[in-house]
Amino acid sequence: MARLAVQGLRKSYGKVEALKGVDLDIAEGEFCVFVGPSGCGKSTLLRSIAGLEEIDSGTIAIDGNVVNTLRPRDRNIAMVFQNYALYPYLSVFENIAFGLRARKVPNAEIKSRVSNAAEMLGIEALLERMPRQLSGGQRQRVAIGRAVVRDALLFLFDEPLSNLDAQLRDGMRAEIKRLHQEIGKTTIYVTHDQIEAMTLADRIVLLRDGIIEQQGAPLDLFERPATRFVAGFLGSPQMNFVATHLDHVDGALTLIFDEGRKLPLDPARAAAFDKYRSRDVILGVRPEHIARASGGAPQKPADASINALIDLVQPTGTRTYAQFRLNETEITVELPSHSVEHPGTTIELLFDMSRVILIDPQTQHVIQG
Amino acid sequence: MSAVAEAPTPPQPASPIAGFVDRNFRWLLVWPSILVLLLIGLFPVIYSLFVSFQKINRRVSDTSFQGFYNYERLVTDERFWDSVINTGIMTGIALPLELVLGLLLARLFLESFPGRQILIALIVTPSVIAPFVAGAMWRLMFENIFGPINEIIRWIVGGTFDLLWLINDNPLIVYSAILTTEVWQWTPFMFLILLAAWSNVDKSQLEAAEIDGASGWRVFRRIIFPAIRPVVFVALTIRGLDLVRLFDIVYALTRGGPGNMTETISIYAYIKGFERFDISMTAAFAFVVIVSLSILVMVVLRRVGVTQ
Repeated sequence: MARLAVQGLRKSYGKVEALKGVDLDIAEGEFCVFVGPSGCGKSTLLRSIAGLEEIDSGTIAIDGNVVNTLRPRDRNIAMVFQNYALYPYLSVFENIAFGLRARKVPNAEIKSRVSNAAEMLGIEALLERMPRQLSGGQRQRVAIGRAVVRDALLFLFDEPLSNLDAQLRDGMRAEIKRLHQEIGKTTIYVTHDQIEAMTLADRIVLLRDGIIEQQGAPLDLFERPATRFVAGFLGSPQMNFVATHLDHVDGALTLIFDEGRKLPLDPARAAAFDKYRSRDVILGVRPEHIARASGGAPQKPADASINALIDLVQPTGTRTYAQFRLNETEITVELPSHSVEHPGTTIELLFDMSRVILIDPQTQHVIQG
Repeated sequence: MSAVAEAPTPPQPASPIAGFVDRNFRWLLVWPSILVLLLIGLFPVIYSLFVSFQKINRRVSDTSFQGFYNYERLVTDERFWDSVINTGIMTGIALPLELVLGLLLARLFLESFPGRQILIALIVTPSVIAPFVAGAMWRLMFENIFGPINEIIRWIVGGTFDLLWLINDNPLIVYSAILTTEVWQWTPFMFLILLAAWSNVDKSQLEAAEIDGASGWRVFRRIIFPAIRPVVFVALTIRGLDLVRLFDIVYALTRGGPGNMTETISIYAYIKGFERFDISMTAAFAFVVIVSLSILVMVVLRRVGVTQ
């Protein structure tokens, strides 16, 4: 169990700056996920913490001790690699025992610790096999076993599931979460998959271009994104963004679209947006916050409706995704199955205006309100 | 009758021979060239086998069958066994030395640093030189009065130092001169092959081992060496065969002397064949060497599992 504190971390490869000053505190036992598009610096950050990359400036401290100059082996961390990095010429047992042998743990203890780890991961039957005789999922378990068998302070996972097929990935994801609940070790997990980030994390650290764009609990980031990037990155299907104009219509702040379509803002939130009156803004709305108006059902006060000509219908079984054009932008709407059957129908859609966000087009920041 | 077509039968060849030709046409096309290659490749071996059972030398040319006469002379010839031992000593010392030095150099050049490419090119130069030239060069280096090696030692120890490196009663001195030259010339070859293999070892395995806290030696023994093992054995086989056939360097440095102190198998065979013109015995000599080397190589390859 350990705390991790990173301050002012910078790292560049030649002229390319991979990390441009990262500050980060991870509490004891926390499951922290670094997420972001490729090239955002998340893996570099993880490898810097592990000591596999030399950093240019800043400090990394584990439990208050600065480890900048320590070699990876002396930082007492365990790491699971994307390609598993199993030692191909050693058996599964020896793979898991490798770190213990290197640290001169007595044989009897190695035996019991390896078999405990193997039991925890359900790979007791594989201990005598060689890595090449294992399937991808089994290899992944061995790699995790190699990490948990050591009594390390920090667990680092570098995109551990990206080489597995989709079905296996879901299972392993749940297992990693359960493992963390059992062991309770401070864990850092790197992924580019926002679903993994949402489901696993106590805290998400969203990186972009070498800086932390936003960090916090998964649902906080999901519901209260600070920037357009965060809003767009989390959630599937992605949040819709439409460039529009904000102005007074009949005394109420209203978003004005083409074909005379209008969406009045939620009166409860309108005051905060008042300074953007007569300006262009970007509307952000998640597909699940748009519904089909159903004749007589009572409307929530914040709902606003527009007409939409559906031009694409994608049923997934549980839900149906429909698209229509608004201000030259394709908007995706998530509807119950069978809500729309054919493209070409015009329907009335209700926007939940209490949950939409407005974005300043200059700063790309979400307007708080 | 249904409209379903019967399975089409292949056209029947006219005669059994035509059928055979039809089925094996591709092999028939390849056969002539295989035959030619076998003839070219095996003819000298078979011819020397023939000659080795005859009695041909400078004076007599008796082509009748002599049984194992030449083989008997060979195995009872002390100078032959001396040459086998000399060759064994040179191989036994030079081969591990080149391997270890090659590994150390490869380790040194694994990470990139400024000037790496140029340094690698410079290090490899000795292997580009013809071995005989290298030998001649080092004979000048070891020259007792004007040679740079004695000169450098004179700077260090001061006063006079006049060591005869190549004509010395002490085999240690003559052998170290020969082995220096041999190792100087061929370590770069090992280095280059091992560097290529070593650079291909999966980086993340090494990183995982570093995080696991393994010492450098453990990482080498458990991860790096198993990964480069096949390449190491191929390199050892190539260099080993070269060393067993060692000729140029030694001939240029000492001509096998003083006496026959440094005479290798190849040098003795050369003397027998081209200085004494004891043709039949040389043929027996060559045949014994070929057969024993072939067996050795097969055993080695099977042991290390390269052929599987």
